[in-house]
Amino acid sequence: MVLALVAAACIWLVLGPAPTAPGYLIAIVLLVASVLASLIMMRMIGSTRRQMEAALQGRARAEHSAIEALRNSEAQWKEVFEHNPVMYFMVDATGTVLSVNSFGAAQLGYLVSELLGQSVLQVFFEEDRDLAQKNVAVCLENIGQTHSWEIRKIRKDRSALWVRENAKAVRRLDNQLIVLIACEDISERKEAENALRQSETYLAEAQRLSHTGSFGWRVATGEIVWSEETFRIFGYDKAPFVTIDTVLQRIHPDDRARAQQTIDRASGDGNDFDHGYQLLMPDGSIKHVHAMAHAVKDASDGIEFVGAVTDITARKRAEEELHEAQANLANVTRVMALGELAASIAHEVNQPLAAVVANAAACLRWLDRETPNLEEARGTVRSIIKDGSRAGEVIQRVRALVNKTADQKAPLQINEVVNEVITLVQHELFSHRVSLRLELAPALPLVIADRIQLQQVILNLVINGIEAMQAVTNRPRELVIRTYPDKADQILVTVKDCGVGIAGENADRVFNAFFTTKSSGMGMGLSICRSIVDAHGGRLSASGNVGPGATIQFTLPLRQEDDTR
Amino acid sequence: MIGRPTSPHNVASAEEPIVFVIDDDASVREALRNLFRSVGFRVEVFGSASEFLQSKLPDVPSCLILDIRLPRVSGLDFQAELADAGIHIPIIFMTGHGDIPMSVRAMKAGAVDFLTKPFRDQDMLDAVTTAIERDRNSRNEAKILSSLQALFATLTPREQEVMALVTAGLMNKQIAVKIGVAEITVKIHRGHIMKKMAAKSLADLVRMAQTLGIRHAAS
Repeated sequence: MVLALVAAACIWLVLGPAPTAPGYLIAIVLLVASVLASLIMMRMIGSTRRQMEAALQGRARAEHSAIEALRNSEAQWKEVFEHNPVMYFMVDATGTVLSVNSFGAAQLGYLVSELLGQSVLQVFFEEDRDLAQKNVAVCLENIGQTHSWEIRKIRKDRSALWVRENAKAVRRLDNQLIVLIACEDISERKEAENALRQSETYLAEAQRLSHTGSFGWRVATGEIVWSEETFRIFGYDKAPFVTIDTVLQRIHPDDRARAQQTIDRASGDGNDFDHGYQLLMPDGSIKHVHAMAHAVKDASDGIEFVGAVTDITARKRAEEELHEAQANLANVTRVMALGELAASIAHEVNQPLAAVVANAAACLRWLDRETPNLEEARGTVRSIIKDGSRAGEVIQRVRALVNKTADQKAPLQINEVVNEVITLVQHELFSHRVSLRLELAPALPLVIADRIQLQQVILNLVINGIEAMQAVTNRPRELVIRTYPDKADQILVTVKDCGVGIAGENADRVFNAFFTTKSSGMGMGLSICRSIVDAHGGRLSASGNVGPGATIQFTLPLRQEDDTR
Repeated sequence: MIGRPTSPHNVASAEEPIVFVIDDDASVREALRNLFRSVGFRVEVFGSASEFLQSKLPDVPSCLILDIRLPRVSGLDFQAELADAGIHIPIIFMTGHGDIPMSVRAMKAGAVDFLTKPFRDQDMLDAVTTAIERDRNSRNEAKILSSLQALFATLTPREQEVMALVTAGLMNKQIAVKIGVAEITVKIHRGHIMKKMAAKSLADLVRMAQTLGIRHAAS
């Protein structure tokens, strides 16, 4: 109809310039237009209907396929939901399980049906339930935000597993608040973490117990990483890293230059190093430490030292105490040895004393003569002085041996030491009918040694030799003391007897403390002698002779190693 | 005296006594030498027993001062050695430390004294004086004995037999019966004996017989 009217209007407008046209004409025009319009309309409606029908058909098909697709997708997602190795939970605000995937249920040892409608708290340890509730509450307060945390869960069989949970609260269409939770099993990681933590704890404990700290030193950056124990040893508060200056600052001024030298050398040549030094602590106390480090190449080919530093203060102190105890023991045995020589020593003092008394009496008589013989009197007085001095020397020698003196090493002539000892044992040799043969090499180089300690060693060896020959009646008892340069760098002193000798199995044991074949005696003599000789960088050894008897010998190095350590 | 460096003195005067000293300690040796010289004794010192033995001992009153402790041989052993060798020199022992068993042994073996070093000078000088006196006496006795022995040796065997019987107290008649001769023959022997032995009386002859140690074997 509209079209008809439009057509009529168009005709009107075309014929407009002839306003004088008759009315019938207008009617005819209108009629034709209407007919035309109707025809056009008819066609248009027909085509539209066809189009609509086709469209409707297409829509139905599309809907069907969409539903199909949706159905497929849901199944897929359901699959994903059910079997994804992630535990999914959907709980309501009170914590009741609305949904759980079968993987999630299975991980906890339940069937899905066993969990649905139950409180989710049952899969948490009792002590963790507050935490679980709190976590859920946080989600509920911040709807739409994702929160995550780590927590332990408990299986149906009461075993535990660690999980990391991601959760978020959402409002459902029915306006109900629910919490969606996805959790993954992190037990393995947790175990590894625990193992690591445990191992670190053990390490720290071991470091504390052994007073040994560790450190790493990257030479290029100068960065030093310390373990807790290293911080404790150096008396610093924990810090991520320290520098060489931090270390040097603590080192005792006496040792600082030497330590600096070692460190400089190591950073230059990249070789392993090993040094000891003292620390001067803020409270003024001294610590002895020993550090050693191994060089390794780091990722960028730079040198990195990995090392350990040990607090050896207690060990040092123990060593010092041991040394002192040994010195005391050496002194005691020395005094005991002198005790054995009491008769000899008394004799050595008594001889010059007797001479002094006799000379003094003679002197008086020279003076008391009618004409005093002053010349003779003078000569006599000179003898008195000489003999008095001699007695004094013997006493001095004995006193030196009795005195407790610290190590006093000085250059000395070994033959002198031998002769000094011999003067003390004259009587001993005599009363045991022992003849002494001295074969002292002339012009021996000096040795650096403690005179008294060497006298003690020789004295002990001579007394042992004399005693070893006590049972000998069928051959002369002869003791031979020899000194001679052994190699270019040491002097050898041997004391040879022709006594009972040393049974093969005892050759090494004679140097043990408290080992003795004598009926009297502590068995400390040779043990002390060996430690004295060791302390001089020499070696004391015993061997049987080809003939009867034994030879005990010791070496003394001519050049003493300087102990810079 | 030759070849003894430790005894520079030439022992010339016959009767002047000599003190011998053996001590291995030079100081003591020289002090003793000095002491004895200061009182006018002749003295000779030795460092060891063997040195002493190597020297020729002069025939004058003397004594030996011996240290108990000597190299190689002890003083006591040396004392015995000298006795075995028939050297009867009076010995004075010295020791560094007084030892009673040792001193007892020394004294029993005839030591004059046993002095502990350091000794008082007077003790030493007294001991030496005593020792030299003792040596002088024994030397005199020895001299008398040897002269008697010389006289006795001039007797015939028969006279020696008769002298033993006479000094044993037998009568001439008993002697005659015993040796199977006439009484007068015994008388003649007696006369010869008295004359040869230079005996003034029978008592004198008896003393001589005692000194000589003559005893009749079959009495």
